[in-house]
Amino acid sequence: MVRKILSRLAQYGFTLLAASFLLFTLTEFSPGTVASKILGPYALENQVALLNAQLGLDEPLLHRYVDWLQTLVGLSPNLLPEAAPGLGLSDPRGDKYFGNFGYSLMMKEPVLDVLADRIGHTAWLSAWALGLTIPISLLLGTLAGMHAGSSVDRVISTVTVTLTSLPEFVVAVGLLLIFVASLGWLPGTSSLQPGDQWSTGAQLVLPVTVLLIASGAYLTRIVRASVAETMQADYVRTARLKGLSPRRVIWAHVLRNAMIAPITVILLQVNWILTGVVVVEAIFAYPGLGSLMLRAALFGDIFTVQALTMLALSVALITQFLGDVAYAILDPRIRVD
Amino acid sequence: MQSSIRGFGWIEMGGLHAYLPARLARSGIALTGMYILMFWGVVALFAPLIAPWDPHEIDFAAMGDRGFSANHLLGTDATGRDMLSRIIWGARTTFVVVPLAIGSAFILGGVAGLAAGWYGGWIDILVSRVGDVMLSFPALILYIILITSFGPSLTNIVIAVTLAYAPGVARLMRGQVLAVKERDFVSAARAGGESGPYIMFVEILPNVGGPLIVDLCLRAGYTVILIGTLGFLGLGLPPPTPDWGGMVVEGVNFLSIYPHMALLPAAAVTSVVIACNLLADGLRERAK
Amino acid sequence: MNRHPYLMPLKKDHDAGKVTRREFLRTATLLGVSSATAYGMIGLVDPVSAADHMPKGGTLRVETTVYDIKSPATATTTADPMIFAQVVEHLTQTGTDNITRPHLLESWEPSADLKTWVLRVRQGVKWHDGRQFTADDVIWNLKRLLSDETGSSVLGLMKPYLLKEVDTGEKDDNGNAVIRHELWAENAIEKTDEMTVTLNLAEPQLAVPEHLYHYPAVMMDPEGGGIFDVDTVGTGAFRLTEMEVGRRAVIEAVDDYWGEGPYLDRVEFIDVGGNAQAIMNALLSGQVDGSFTVQPEFAAPLDARENLQRYEVVTADTAITRMNLNHKPFDDARVRKAFRLALDAPRAAEAAFGPFASPAEHHHVSPVHPEYAELPPMARDVEAAKALLAEAGYPDGVEVELTIQQNPPHHLRSATVMQEMWKDAGITCNINVVPNGQYWDVWTTAPLGTTVWAHRPLGVINLSLAYRSGASWNESAYANETFDELLTKAESFPDPRERSKVMADIQALLQEDGPIIQTYWRKLVTYYDKRVMGFAMHPTSQVFFNKMAIQSA
Repeated sequence: MVRKILSRLAQYGFTLLAASFLLFTLTEFSPGTVASKILGPYALENQVALLNAQLGLDEPLLHRYVDWLQTLVGLSPNLLPEAAPGLGLSDPRGDKYFGNFGYSLMMKEPVLDVLADRIGHTAWLSAWALGLTIPISLLLGTLAGMHAGSSVDRVISTVTVTLTSLPEFVVAVGLLLIFVASLGWLPGTSSLQPGDQWSTGAQLVLPVTVLLIASGAYLTRIVRASVAETMQADYVRTARLKGLSPRRVIWAHVLRNAMIAPITVILLQVNWILTGVVVVEAIFAYPGLGSLMLRAALFGDIFTVQALTMLALSVALITQFLGDVAYAILDPRIRVD
Repeated sequence: MQSSIRGFGWIEMGGLHAYLPARLARSGIALTGMYILMFWGVVALFAPLIAPWDPHEIDFAAMGDRGFSANHLLGTDATGRDMLSRIIWGARTTFVVVPLAIGSAFILGGVAGLAAGWYGGWIDILVSRVGDVMLSFPALILYIILITSFGPSLTNIVIAVTLAYAPGVARLMRGQVLAVKERDFVSAARAGGESGPYIMFVEILPNVGGPLIVDLCLRAGYTVILIGTLGFLGLGLPPPTPDWGGMVVEGVNFLSIYPHMALLPAAAVTSVVIACNLLADGLRERAK
Repeated sequence: MNRHPYLMPLKKDHDAGKVTRREFLRTATLLGVSSATAYGMIGLVDPVSAADHMPKGGTLRVETTVYDIKSPATATTTADPMIFAQVVEHLTQTGTDNITRPHLLESWEPSADLKTWVLRVRQGVKWHDGRQFTADDVIWNLKRLLSDETGSSVLGLMKPYLLKEVDTGEKDDNGNAVIRHELWAENAIEKTDEMTVTLNLAEPQLAVPEHLYHYPAVMMDPEGGGIFDVDTVGTGAFRLTEMEVGRRAVIEAVDDYWGEGPYLDRVEFIDVGGNAQAIMNALLSGQVDGSFTVQPEFAAPLDARENLQRYEVVTADTAITRMNLNHKPFDDARVRKAFRLALDAPRAAEAAFGPFASPAEHHHVSPVHPEYAELPPMARDVEAAKALLAEAGYPDGVEVELTIQQNPPHHLRSATVMQEMWKDAGITCNINVVPNGQYWDVWTTAPLGTTVWAHRPLGVINLSLAYRSGASWNESAYANETFDELLTKAESFPDPRERSKVMADIQALLQEDGPIIQTYWRKLVTYYDKRVMGFAMHPTSQVFFNKMAIQSA
């Protein structure tokens, strides 16, 4: 078992490495050079060429990837502060440390600091969204699945299929129209600025609701399908025929077995929320990683994009791994291999 | 001789032919979805005949009031173009881009999955590992990187969707192939001396179609949302292509004065997504 | 005080009704008369000196995009100085009435031939660290702004009268000669005494005070090396206490500001991601007390709010669709004219903006500019456009790609309208929308692109920045000797009527041969809470927070 887990981990490590190379290659195509973004639109051509050479940007791709990787793991220094002294770039961690993604071209600060300012906000938003999504979907999904075909099921199913079909931006715009422009009950932006007269709670309502609607409707459907299927399974029928109370049947048989499929979906929701927040954060001006991702990508701030993507990749792989483990624990028939 | 064996196989396995149209006919939900899609399909096909205006034409006379009128049944958009005609032509855009993107994802992913499942060995390892790498990217982040790097265009959106979906399709296909690989009709074909590709495409593919079609419907719906979302984030189809997502984005700014500008295309997007989901649901229910 | 010889004729013209009050005030102040005196000469009270009793204290929250502004000298948008110009200041200041007054200067005095400008530094201005602001500071800053290394757009602005080109003899990687700039003469920028600087110009220039208010031209403390950051030493009414790019910035009042105010304790600049919808939402929810600018389409919901006051100003703010002459087919003047003739500018302006814009005439000189010359309208003529294209060797029309910025969304509306109109003349135009940041990578090189040009108080300033041969903001690579000569000539006339005679030629030349397509002038619109006092919409969106106050709720 331990050996299998280790080999799985090694496999994920390899995936992360391959993905980082793909990421590095893709960001290479970002329009405009790093040097021109650092020096601004009025830089002279010779200045740009000089900086490119100092940063080693005229080396071949693989060479630059290895350089980037070495800087990232802390083996070699980031060359930017020395090459562009006019920007006053400095990093309190020194120039060699693990996780050195360089400097944000947009903010002119170490990428890690830029991320550190925002990661908590996104974690907070995601925690609220997941914390509400999971119990609500489990409840509604189980309810509908147990009474498959009933009117309760039909209402829940119709509502959820409609809600999963609504793009997040449509939901967000609709909520803004109702609760901000018409009723004025909630704030229109959630930028969490200190001193805002709206409480943090009020600012979180709309972004969390959009995430909840998008993610919850989907999860409810999965839970419903899984529960409905389990209800039809022979052992549940047998248990009911044996005269066990419906409550016992549900707790002892249905839920445990029905949760195998949703648990992976829940873990995938963690992953999904990481991208779902891009849209939500952009609309509500929420100062998290999602809005940063969009802004950095549009600016061509490739170092920030690289760092954010590596972070998202790591989260994705960790949740996948946890999914494997959870699967193995919940269903003894499946082994990690 | 062999064809009759295959014939039993289809029915027995709930394969492609059993899904469509027999399964469809028995599912009210799937039928509803199908009718909505057919409606938009017809609209898309006959757009030049149905649309009262050229979708690009600006009616300078309608600048004062963008709302509903006899000339413009659904009003005009922010630039003075007929909403009804743009929604009609937008259906055409949707019915070109989505099948193109989904089609190429299913061809690429399907072939890779078939080969991985059938041949196993290093092909399987290669397909699975490449798929793992691609799938480890959260989809929207992959789109944002691809499109900001290479620019927003129809081709790039199709490529991005293909790259994001193909690994999932391949994984699903591989699983399906592994499940039917040892079945009698496959063994029979193999014993009959058929070539690998022949068995893959003629024997196996029709018999694993069911779950793939459900998957296809779901992905088609999601692609409609995705194109809208990309448009909303400013990474959508280049103008002036009438594109529902892009129309919502333009209209959002006028929401409080002329809500029709955003709400009508939003409703169109939603109806297609609902149709895809209903179709998928209906087919899945019936498959059991 | 020496009065400029043109001043009395100017007053006579005003009294005789030949020059409007606005033109009189503008020109008189440019000639070195204090604005209070200028207003007094025609029997009015300078609104600036009529300060009311303002409530003290409080925090004002203003929406704006918080860009990286470590280097004000290379600022590229008018949103940048909204923050940094509260801390580090300009030598002059163009007010919301479009009149330029001395600021860190006490006065200026041009010679009769407009080639020698004496700049007197204001007495009693101190840096935040207590040091006196002197002529040396002015000279250090001007020289820095004019050096190649700094990369400031001030260089392009002042190059014609302060700089010369020097060939270093070196070649760059592409084999082009490396050109550097030097002051045109040893004494171009001369220290007369501790508090006086004299500018000796290579050629006459009227708009020197306006140029000194060009937004990157702020006076930085030489000891800070030109980097702007938290606690940077300036001369302004505020100092920067917090700076988080893309999120927020905070300025706080200093104790002993030399000028008016400040009344506010602090101003918080709040970045909501630049999304126009989010700006409106933040205003609706009272999360900000005001905004940098608001897109006109949001006027209706904001007007409906009791607590918000709308401010607007007619400006020379515009978007120029410029054709780059290094690319075919725009190397041919006939093609460029055809692109203009195929458009119906008044209709295009209306389609893109409704009541929030007025039509332009393809020459980048606005009716609000004092030297504007009225030309016969350049009417749409599709047949003539086709004929010109055929003559230029494109009988079957041309296909071009128009690059525009993603935000604000009216760029796309305007581009779509042009695209439709061009279609009739056989011009196929594909629109390429790029994120705003990416546009600046290609703005000087794209074959066809739409660039936003901020309002500037005189027509000649824009023309000099954008179309003079070799100017650093010459995004169209336009180089026309006749144009350069006419422009230099125009810049030597203090009298707006005299200048407008030359302007008529310049404007006609641009319509005929020029590199630009221009269909509209914008109104700038914004909203502030009614509790906010002392705000007026400035034609370049500048805000003087030292003059503003907020009533407690």
